[in-house]
Amino acid sequence: MFSSLASLQPRQLAAQVLNFALVLSTAFMLWKGLSVFTNSSSPIVVVLSGSMEPAFERGDLLFLWNRGMDTQVGEIVVYNVRGKDIPIVHRVVRRFGGGSAPLQLLTKGDNNAADDTELYARGQDYLERSKDVVGSVVGYVPFVGYVTILLSEYPWLKTAMLGFMALTVVLQRE
Amino acid sequence: MSDSHISPYSLNDLKNTTDDALGNYLRGLHFKQDNSKLDFRLAIGYTAVVIAAVTFVADYKLGWDATKNGTAVAVAAYAVLNGVFTYWLYFVEKGLIFEGNREGRKISLASRTKKHTPTYFLTVTSSSNQSRELECPFTTWFTEDGYFVAKPFQQWLASTVDVIGGADVKSVGKSEAESSVVPEAESNGTPSASGADAKSKGTKRSKKKG
Repeated sequence: MFSSLASLQPRQLAAQVLNFALVLSTAFMLWKGLSVFTNSSSPIVVVLSGSMEPAFERGDLLFLWNRGMDTQVGEIVVYNVRGKDIPIVHRVVRRFGGGSAPLQLLTKGDNNAADDTELYARGQDYLERSKDVVGSVVGYVPFVGYVTILLSEYPWLKTAMLGFMALTVVLQRE
Repeated sequence: MSDSHISPYSLNDLKNTTDDALGNYLRGLHFKQDNSKLDFRLAIGYTAVVIAAVTFVADYKLGWDATKNGTAVAVAAYAVLNGVFTYWLYFVEKGLIFEGNREGRKISLASRTKKHTPTYFLTVTSSSNQSRELECPFTTWFTEDGYFVAKPFQQWLASTVDVIGGADVKSVGKSEAESSVVPEAESNGTPSASGADAKSKGTKRSKKKG
């Protein structure tokens, strides 16, 4: 199988490696392009908990839009708790400010008994719309996000997938 | 040439093996290969990859907010470079497998295959910028098991392309490109050496060489 690679001229080998590199870099640039378009650092997120049931289940894929800066009560937003990197998907239940004052939001999971004051960082009582919110949910696809959950819970899957992809693209000459 | 064999049912493998053999054959005949088109494609492609890599590192180190605007520029640049790359691949290179010159005469060869047709289509463009398309069934130089036999391939090339025939006089005039005879593999599957096989003159290829 690899003998076909060994018989290649160096430029042809470079061309085959380039094909694989382009697959990776195009995927990455498409993701970044979507980020730029939606103005969100993470335009597609996976629901990790059941705190928004029955609206969203664990494993749902959410599409975010971060250019609507005047978030209303009832909108579902994704935010990062200050200092942590875990995105949380909850509904806005209260607004403060807006207009000339910076907009601040209080959120609560539909399936939770209490609002998110406990979840915020120590000393933080509300979210800053401009700083903490990653985006508002504008659409979703159920269940598809489970692949991401698997990849993060079993990191060897990531390596295996990448390795398999590399093999097929570099050895295929079409 | 190669000691390994390919699947004779895979059009892709047939074409790639033939293309590689053609390159090796012409380089062996002291054709100087002109890689400028491939080099341009590699340059464009790797530049785009480098831009993506730099964007990745910057985003990893500095975070989203700091790199937002730079990322937007990078994405636009990447899209443009990818567009140029695709255009170059499909419209300029257009199936090019060998481009070079020998003793002042230029030659440019592009190949293609048609789905479900076991025929090699070779477009030859000479110094005078005239192109013609030649075709020949793959069975002329592949055995039933998928071993590549160099001699009939070189004979076909030398007889049908003047520039190659001029460089490899020994192979001219012995082409049986349209024959129904399928070349048999040599013992151990090692195909015969390149063109310098003088004692085969007049021997019917259907007989196994002793």
